[in-house]
Amino acid sequence: MRDRIQEALKHSKADYTEIRIEEKETTRVVFRGKELEVANANIDKGGIVRCLIRDKGWGVATFNNLDDLLNKADQAYQCAQVGSVPEPIELASVEPVENITTVEMKRDFRDISLAEKKALAERYNQVLLGHSDKIIDTQAAYADSFTHLILANSEGTYIEQEKPSVVIGAFAIARDGNNVQQAHESLSSTQGFEYVLDKDELARKAAQKAVELLDAEPVKAGQYPVVVDQTLAGVFIHEAFGHLSEADFVYENPKAREMMTMGRRFGKGLLNVYDDGSIPNLRGTTMYDDEGTPARRNWLIRDGELVGRLHSRQTAAKMGEKASGNARAVNYRFAPIVRMTNTAIDNGTTSFENMVKDIELGIYACDAYGGETLLENFSFSSGYAYMIRNGKIAEMVKDVILAGNLFTTLENIDAIGNDFKWLNTGGGCGKGNQYPLPVGMGAPHIRIQNVVIGGE
Amino acid sequence: MDIFSQLKKQAEQVEVLSLQNEKTTVEYEANQLKTCTVAETKGTAVRVIRKGRLGFAASSDDTAMDKLAANALESATFGDKALFSFPDPKPAPIVRTFDKAVADLPIARLVEIGREMLDLILPVEPDARCHISLERSLVSASIRNQKGMDVSFKTSPLSLGLEIDRIEGDDMLILEDQLGTTVWEKDYLAFTRRLMDKLKKAKFITSIKPGRMPVLFAPAGILALGLPLSRGLNGKEVYKGTSPMVGKIGEKLFDEKVTIIDDGTIDGKFASASYDDEGIPRRRNMLIEKGVLKSFIYDLKTAAQSGVESTGNASRQLFSPPEPSFTNFVIQPGQTPLKDILAGIDEGILVENLLGLGQGNIISGAFSNPLALAFKIERGEIIGRVKDVSIAGNVYELLKNVAAVSQEVQWVYNTFYAPYVLLPEMNVMTKTESPSN
Repeated sequence: MRDRIQEALKHSKADYTEIRIEEKETTRVVFRGKELEVANANIDKGGIVRCLIRDKGWGVATFNNLDDLLNKADQAYQCAQVGSVPEPIELASVEPVENITTVEMKRDFRDISLAEKKALAERYNQVLLGHSDKIIDTQAAYADSFTHLILANSEGTYIEQEKPSVVIGAFAIARDGNNVQQAHESLSSTQGFEYVLDKDELARKAAQKAVELLDAEPVKAGQYPVVVDQTLAGVFIHEAFGHLSEADFVYENPKAREMMTMGRRFGKGLLNVYDDGSIPNLRGTTMYDDEGTPARRNWLIRDGELVGRLHSRQTAAKMGEKASGNARAVNYRFAPIVRMTNTAIDNGTTSFENMVKDIELGIYACDAYGGETLLENFSFSSGYAYMIRNGKIAEMVKDVILAGNLFTTLENIDAIGNDFKWLNTGGGCGKGNQYPLPVGMGAPHIRIQNVVIGGE
Repeated sequence: MDIFSQLKKQAEQVEVLSLQNEKTTVEYEANQLKTCTVAETKGTAVRVIRKGRLGFAASSDDTAMDKLAANALESATFGDKALFSFPDPKPAPIVRTFDKAVADLPIARLVEIGREMLDLILPVEPDARCHISLERSLVSASIRNQKGMDVSFKTSPLSLGLEIDRIEGDDMLILEDQLGTTVWEKDYLAFTRRLMDKLKKAKFITSIKPGRMPVLFAPAGILALGLPLSRGLNGKEVYKGTSPMVGKIGEKLFDEKVTIIDDGTIDGKFASASYDDEGIPRRRNMLIEKGVLKSFIYDLKTAAQSGVESTGNASRQLFSPPEPSFTNFVIQPGQTPLKDILAGIDEGILVENLLGLGQGNIISGAFSNPLALAFKIERGEIIGRVKDVSIAGNVYELLKNVAAVSQEVQWVYNTFYAPYVLLPEMNVMTKTESPSN
């Protein structure tokens, strides 16, 4: 394969050409309710040629048939000739890399039978179903995937990487008359099968939360001080801030550039935020991005000031900055775009008790159902929440949705916890049709003043 | 031997789906034509029923057919008891999903359409940054099963997508709209003009006091109510007992102005076809008629579980087994002209787009969304855009009382056909303080 890739790269007439070949095998087992819904294995194999003609544009060809790479390189070149950029596209320089790595798993999930994987999912499903007769529907899922990825470009880079992933998820729906509530827990690892064993507690937690939510009252709309748990804080910094740090949002937009000017205040001095794809074994870890740039730690906010952003080679060149290792593609069907890896709010100094104790009336919001951001405006649902009354965690409430303006909200963060945690959940991030890209998120507890909470 | 003949010897029932897709995409990024992509996808998905158990596997590697067959059979050793059979071939309605005029569109023409869109926008909105994606595909699929079914379909989806962002000081506005069709649409720029009109109206910003007031949902905004219903009407949720509409067929659940239809037979629409993804003829399913619950949607499996017939709503991607899903979600237009509805509103809001659609516990019918684009209505006139406003409620309560449904109706998000809907009163929240920066 390597020879054929090199031959196609040499053959290409473009200013820059890169080829990615991906082979991925996945196994998935899903129980829903009392039934096994899925137990199967899929094979996905394909490739992409991407090339650049500097004074025209990018051309891309993706394919499943790997027999004729030369022809695909020609196709991509013809596509690139369609473009008509007003000024030449440059790429920030990156040292060519030659690196072939393999992964060792303690218990390689490819050697585990489908029967054993099914038994595992079934066990977690039993935990969900057995928790209470109010649980009327469940989903217990096991999924693994093993990807072999080759990346080569016309500048001499040749990288082979292996990317294992194993995820379990537990989802419970509880019902009492017309009242239907749900809760979800998941866990992922880039290591072996052993990481998802003995996780009954995770399934139990999902079932318990769904049942507890049946008795929770909807939150009363209003403005509250809110203490946010690590999961929701991680999702918040990823969604509401992280996406604005992606340079493709600003690099060709003078006004957005102004908004994201280095040195601008993004919160109080206690706030520090970074993205880091080089930390071993996290969900968003990628030693090289999909342009071959090595991962590193990129500080985004330091002491409350904007200090960095995330780049592809193209956005970095355009803004006169360095490639940051954030050009990522969800699979071979897509060209890489600027994405996060593992994004985190750095640890602070306040204990959880101290964060809560001065709050007369507030909300403790936990876990995330999802969120959406539209520029500076965001909306997030917490999975469950509690009222805080007179400095103590009180009754559970439901339907807590945090909405607001990013700048105001960051400025209103007035305490950062000392209990930092990486979230090893199984989800992924979506951007421009590319979903789900594995990303990591981390944070300690944080406290935000004056949050608008929706509700009836 | 091909995989179909091979598996027929090893299992009682076999279904083979073959998919092939050729897609050309031209993308303008920030008003500049920057990327052109040609994508060829090929794959095979197999379902088998062996010893009464259902198995599934798929592959995009056509050199790995033996492994695909083995994976499908292994899957069937664990699969659940198949309560259904793969269907006999049946005659299906003729639905237009292919147009040579679309299939033959050259790249140069796609480039030109993008240019025409920019020529409409930029002279009026010089500060707008437009992201345009013009995509033309040629999809062929075939389904074969051991009962002799051998249907193949060809579709020519064309999708023109437009996202505009406009930043003025600290005010940022992002709007998007799209056209999706499988037959050539003469007025292919109508959606661009529609978006321009919104941009223009959004220039003037006003404020509103929170409280209970009439809320008029535009076709794209009505999705806040439509999405929870589409979940609740799905036969899978009904079978699992999670839909709030379980066991309520024949009951009047909503205002009589509410009629909802799933229609997979409308010519030229993305979700339309002669057959569903299991080879069952697509059809028009009346789900809610004048407020009365009539039916749910099903695929073969959920229909068998529920003791009913498939409604032709199986839908699938290459790598996953079929699931019941909506085709075109049609909310029937009403009697009242939009201008009369507006004229009757003393003070209220018009909801064009929401943020965070489909998020939260939507199966329960609850929603709570900030509004991405909304206007204030005062004495029958749209007087300006309102910011930092959100709405919340429960669909199953709100739709019991609908004040008016417009005659005017629009396709939004490619598969939703919806009128304007006025709710007489709901809670509208605003942010009291203004952003500090």
